[in-house]
Amino acid sequence: MPAVGTNVPRKDSTEKVTGTARYVDDLVFPGMLHARTIRSTIPRGRIRDVRLSFDRAGFTIIDHRDVTGRNVVALIEDDQPLLAEREIRHVAEPILLLAHEDLDTLRRARVDIDYEPLEPLFDPTRSTQLLKDLRIVKGDVEQALAGAEVVVEGEYRTGHQEQLYIEPNGVIAVPENGGVTVHGSLQCPFYVHKALRIALGLPDDRIRVVQTETGGGFGGKEEYPSVIAAHAALLALKAKRPVKLIYDRLEDMLATTKRHPSIVRHRTGVTRDGRLVAMDIEVLMDGGAYVTLSPVVLSRGAIHAAGPYRCDHVRIEARAVGTNTPPNGAFRGFGAPQTQFAVEVQMERIAEALSMDPARLRELNALRPGDTTATGQRVEADCSALQVLQQAVERSDFHGKRERYAGTNRGIGLSLFFHGAGFTGSGEVKLASRAALCTTERGVRILVGSAEIGQGTRTMHAQIVADSLGIPYEDVETGLPDTSNVPDSGPTVASRTCMVVGGILQRCASDLRERIGDMHPREHFTKHGATVVTKEYEPPHGIAWDDDTYRGDAYATYAWACDVAEVEMDPDTYEIRPIHFTAVQDIGKAIHPVLVAGQIEGGTAQGIGYALIEEVVMREGAMANAQMTNYLVPTTLDTPTMDVVIVETPSHHGPFGAKGVGEMPIDGPAPAIVNAIRHLGLDIRQIPATPERIAEAACVSA
Amino acid sequence: MLRLPRFTYHEPTTVGEAVRLFTEAMPDVAYVAGGTDLYPNMKRRQQTPATVIALHRIPELRAIAGTPESGMTIGACVTLTELAAHEAVRLRYPAVSHAAHVVSTPILRNMGTIGGNLLLDTRCNYYDQNYEWRKAINFCMKRDGEICWVAPSSPRCWAVQSSDGVPVAVALGADVTVTSVRGTRRLPAAGLYRNDGIQYLEKGPDELLVAYHLPPVRDGDWRATYRKLRRRDAFDFPVLGVAARVDFARDGSVSAARIVLGAVASYPQEISAAADAIIGTRLDEGAIGAAADAAYRPAKPMDNTDFTLAWRKEMVRVHVQRALQDIRAQNT
Ligand SMILES: Cc1cc2nc3c(=O)[nH]c(=O)nc-3n(C[C@H](O)[C@H](O)[C@H](O)COP(=O)(O)OP(=O)(O)OC[C@H]3O[C@@H](n4cnc5c(N)ncnc54)[C@H](O)[C@@H]3O)c2cc1C
Ligand code: SF4
Repeated sequence: MPAVGTNVPRKDSTEKVTGTARYVDDLVFPGMLHARTIRSTIPRGRIRDVRLSFDRAGFTIIDHRDVTGRNVVALIEDDQPLLAEREIRHVAEPILLLAHEDLDTLRRARVDIDYEPLEPLFDPTRSTQLLKDLRIVKGDVEQALAGAEVVVEGEYRTGHQEQLYIEPNGVIAVPENGGVTVHGSLQCPFYVHKALRIALGLPDDRIRVVQTETGGGFGGKEEYPSVIAAHAALLALKAKRPVKLIYDRLEDMLATTKRHPSIVRHRTGVTRDGRLVAMDIEVLMDGGAYVTLSPVVLSRGAIHAAGPYRCDHVRIEARAVGTNTPPNGAFRGFGAPQTQFAVEVQMERIAEALSMDPARLRELNALRPGDTTATGQRVEADCSALQVLQQAVERSDFHGKRERYAGTNRGIGLSLFFHGAGFTGSGEVKLASRAALCTTERGVRILVGSAEIGQGTRTMHAQIVADSLGIPYEDVETGLPDTSNVPDSGPTVASRTCMVVGGILQRCASDLRERIGDMHPREHFTKHGATVVTKEYEPPHGIAWDDDTYRGDAYATYAWACDVAEVEMDPDTYEIRPIHFTAVQDIGKAIHPVLVAGQIEGGTAQGIGYALIEEVVMREGAMANAQMTNYLVPTTLDTPTMDVVIVETPSHHGPFGAKGVGEMPIDGPAPAIVNAIRHLGLDIRQIPATPERIAEAACVSA
Repeated sequence: MLRLPRFTYHEPTTVGEAVRLFTEAMPDVAYVAGGTDLYPNMKRRQQTPATVIALHRIPELRAIAGTPESGMTIGACVTLTELAAHEAVRLRYPAVSHAAHVVSTPILRNMGTIGGNLLLDTRCNYYDQNYEWRKAINFCMKRDGEICWVAPSSPRCWAVQSSDGVPVAVALGADVTVTSVRGTRRLPAAGLYRNDGIQYLEKGPDELLVAYHLPPVRDGDWRATYRKLRRRDAFDFPVLGVAARVDFARDGSVSAARIVLGAVASYPQEISAAADAIIGTRLDEGAIGAAADAAYRPAKPMDNTDFTLAWRKEMVRVHVQRALQDIRAQNT
């Protein structure tokens, strides 16, 4: 029986349900020390003096001078120090590391730091520190705008968002084999491997990174584990003992990355009958104090900024700038939720300006196979923007409810959106990911660097391999990646783990099948010993991208979706309650329908939080509500009933037609909800749409 | 992970033994019932008793006795889950049952007790933070520090009364019984609270809360309700609570009333002007509106909880109005 398309038991379910799965804080090594990070308390300035006011017996202490390699967090730019030398650019910047056997002694250790404070900058519109800018140009926007019958302008704002994975960041570094092994809660073992190599100045083979079971990531464990792993490794190598460094919730929220706040401006020209003729879009993202992943977040944000629409004249100017808050970074959606919030609320306002049905406006303009995106990419036969829209409209009774809700305290709104699968542009080619299969006495073992972070990686990969080899799912073994024995499959990000890594595994399987003939791999193993097949990513044919002009095929393919939100507003308090949600999402092929529905439901809930309640309160550059009683995310009681419809229009790029599903679900809920609020007559252009903000909008419109 | 400090732990099985142990260990000692307030506070080093005396093994504190006609007595260690589900309480004291039901989450209600709920510590965004956070702002006067971050020139602490049960107890005119080696006394719940974020209780620390006494209720002679404002439908403490009790004369007019606001001050704030506005009326919209206005004016929330100040104050009007509308609806 084929495994793909069925709800096989998760590979990791027994351990997780019975509580035997081991997370990093469950691990104890002999002679282990605990570590603590001393951080800056000011947003900008210079360190004048660091005084250790405690008895140093039994302590290992490290500052920037102890960094044996280069004092940088190796990522895109090398601008961020692992440990501040003199200059402070944000609150919670690491300055000093302490380790001690006893946690209480460690906590009591007092360090006094004198600063020479400098004027911080928090407003991205006033920043002169450019982290990255890019321009996407198609046609001639100015001329098209000048000739447009109607021009609609608007500015849209989104705030920070915290990933709030259940397990905070944490690692253990163990000195061994003349180098160091880091065990940790992380998404991208090979990112950490590279960062360690540079920070420690050690050769590749002296560094080993092992993922421990990971309690969620949402992008928040894409780049940050490189920082914390380097810290622990430096301590471990100096102390010559294992070192455990685990953040508590406060530290994790205060110090680690969040979603980039954004300001997006639109100027759209349309004909009176609703055809888009020109889209002029300016995107500004607040990157925080260092570059981290801002250039790539900005890039994905910009490419998605015009939405899934056909328009001949598009100009997207995007900038990420620096401010004195902790750096922002990867978070599910990676820039696309920000820009698609803007374009989808803008579309609603255009419909309003034209007195046109919002679904009809989108129907007119939705990309069809053969149309080109803003970067000039011709979308293929798997472009189903129109189908998901029509299905969502019908399924939710959008038009009926739009009429029936008019004049009541209920509203209904929709959003049409898309999400590119895999790395942007030439990213996948540069990555050149590899994956491998190895025959075993049970069958076959998958060797990949992809991380299970709760989303179901191991299960989904095993399904693909089982069916590609024609063996039972149970005969496929999976495990936690360990850089010493798996190839680099690239990071577990960008909705690429199924389409890209799964695709490589599929090729490994057919190669293995050729080698072993009709035999079960187990049989082959018994007769001939282990056989390993390793394959590298092969760029799909006919895909071309130009990094300099931002023209071409930004992604191998896209997934398409339409969300419909129904909300109820309390007419006196302006509290919004989502009452029903319809999500029609085309992800090519659901390898595991339950896991796919879980991604859509979870992403939708996270998107509802983003839209309504998740607010990072920044006070003097520091998160003031850095705990779960104050930074609120929706509970099951705040999440509406969801009608999730999985559409499967196969892509020939992915295994069994699959595209990515991890990120797209978070792109749509915020604009759908804000558009539902707009249906109630309230002009909201900023999220989170808290009752306070809506009350203000109500005063203005009254 | 936040960890508990070390402490000595006792599990007495009688009230007598509990108060004796407490007195012996004074002053650095605390009672614990469900521990859902005390233990998190200890983890954050807001409270650091050297001795903790657990009350959950004392059978006497776990009983519910009496009848609605004669009044009911709820043992202090009855859990919120038990209280919310108790049939007579649910049917005849719906405000009490509802206030217990809207506390936090099922898991917390399974542990948390009504006694702990009535004695819940006051809360503040500058205070309910872990030790490191508070240290970074140099603490505040509620613990370890000098000044108040909410009102820096103020000589007092403005931490907020944040229990759902408290405004209901006061509005109902319930009593409580407390006991210590010094003796036992029964007092109105209203007499238990002070408008001070630090010394928020009018009882000695050694006084053990034994019981919560609900007043008699006969068919329709009075009705009560509770309304809670918070951002989500689970977990969150009240950012505003409105409890109201309205007594009706035979002719259906209001003979007496008590309207109490939670989470706007350090104590449950009774607004007698709001009650006055409805006495003698039949809870018509005009009277309800006048009561809502009267409650709105003196309500002075401070900027130390969720939501913005202005909006919270505005919500007092809405919630008082709705509370009284609830009662009118119950009465018809
Ligand atoms: C996440 C979270 C959410 C919460 N949400 C709410 C909410 O929405 N509404 C709400 O009202 N509360 C809330 N609480 C607070 C708390 O859980 C409840 O108020 C609960 O009822 C407290 O009861 P307890 O038995 O656990 O108290 P404990 O923690 O055991 O005690 C609380 C205090 O009372 C003292 N005490 C307890 N029993 C006695 C007694 N019999 N005699 C003398 N002193 C005693 C203790 O010494 C301590 O100071 C929340 C708590 C958390 C952690
Ligand atoms: S009101 Fe002032 S003194 Fe009281 S807890 Fe808050 S900051 Fe501290």
